[in-house]
Amino acid sequence: MDFRRYLLEAGTIVAAAVVCASVANLTAGRERKLAFVADYPNALIVPNRAPRPQPVVTSTASDGAETLSAGTLVPLEAQEPGVVADAAPPLPSVTQTTAAPVIAAPRVPAAAKPAARATDEEILRRFPVRDDVPYVEISGDDAEWLYHQEILFLDARRTNVYDEGHIAGARNFAVWESDIDQKVAALMNEGFDQRKPIVIYCSGGECEDSHMLSQKLWGVFFNNALVYKDGFPDWKRRGNPVRTGGRP
Amino acid sequence: MTLGERLAHPWLTVRVQIALGVIFIAAALPKIVDPPSFAHMIYNYRILPGPLVNITALMLPWVELIAGVALVFGLWRRSSTAIIGALLAIFIAGISLNLLRDNPIDCGCFDVSAAGKTAAERFHDMRMVILRDIGMLLMVGQIFWATRIEGLETGKRID
Repeated sequence: MDFRRYLLEAGTIVAAAVVCASVANLTAGRERKLAFVADYPNALIVPNRAPRPQPVVTSTASDGAETLSAGTLVPLEAQEPGVVADAAPPLPSVTQTTAAPVIAAPRVPAAAKPAARATDEEILRRFPVRDDVPYVEISGDDAEWLYHQEILFLDARRTNVYDEGHIAGARNFAVWESDIDQKVAALMNEGFDQRKPIVIYCSGGECEDSHMLSQKLWGVFFNNALVYKDGFPDWKRRGNPVRTGGRP
Repeated sequence: MTLGERLAHPWLTVRVQIALGVIFIAAALPKIVDPPSFAHMIYNYRILPGPLVNITALMLPWVELIAGVALVFGLWRRSSTAIIGALLAIFIAGISLNLLRDNPIDCGCFDVSAAGKTAAERFHDMRMVILRDIGMLLMVGQIFWATRIEGLETGKRID
């Protein structure tokens, strides 16, 4: 009956671990606490490591600010690298990621930075509501343009990383921390117009926290999440406003 | 003295027990300190369904810690060694699967912060981790062997 005895001992170790883990988590601070059960829709999907496709280019458009909506899907097979004509924004392109389909929004040329704020209609024309995909990826130029329109920026990285430096004005929405659902609910309760663009970023590169947060927002009908794919490192490299500490 | 007797020598067994226990305690502590980062690491393995990610990140380090402490103090040796052996087998399987799937991950074994490594560096580290874990499985085997011999010699049940 040694086997039963060993099984009982192993079970006791596991049970003690469950008790300790539960107590530790219940008494943990906000940044260390985890929801016991959370839903990660892409938890079993292996990221595609294929090189990211180049954006499709066009030579017909003359005004990047008005021509293309982010809603047009272009099949991957149709994409070819090419040369961008002057002042012509690339066509939107589908990119392969681990999650639902992603559509790259048309890049806004850096020169298109407005002297005055664009109207909500202009912003929505450029970044229309998308209820069929959880997010649209945007470039650093787009992020800068949207920043000048005082669009809401959300930082999906961990709180301690946010405190070390974040986009000035961006709110801390650490997607891996336990209070993320409360923060999303609070955003809804603010009466935030859920059609308006929200820019979400994390650490760039392979970081998926911003995609994960946009999935959460999409789940509660925030239908205009824009993922700033190159994230905070790109923002800093461009010399844009950065703030440290816990305040946006 | 035969090789089997040498391998089962109490001098060696005690040291292997303590070494393995300390390794698992050291591995558990960073994960206990920062469960969200460890959950992120588990998520990156892409082998657990979403609802199991957080619960695993919370429980697994404590299992490692308690089994490690038990081994260091020589309590329930065979049971705690069996748990550690099972964990090592799971880790090896998880990393091997991701090597086969061409998915570079940080192992999250002793450090749960994102290291910012390249894919090539991660693949290299994953292979090294598998070798290290196989080495630790050999330590598990030694403890089982020694406790079995000890039980046969003394006729007593071995903890």
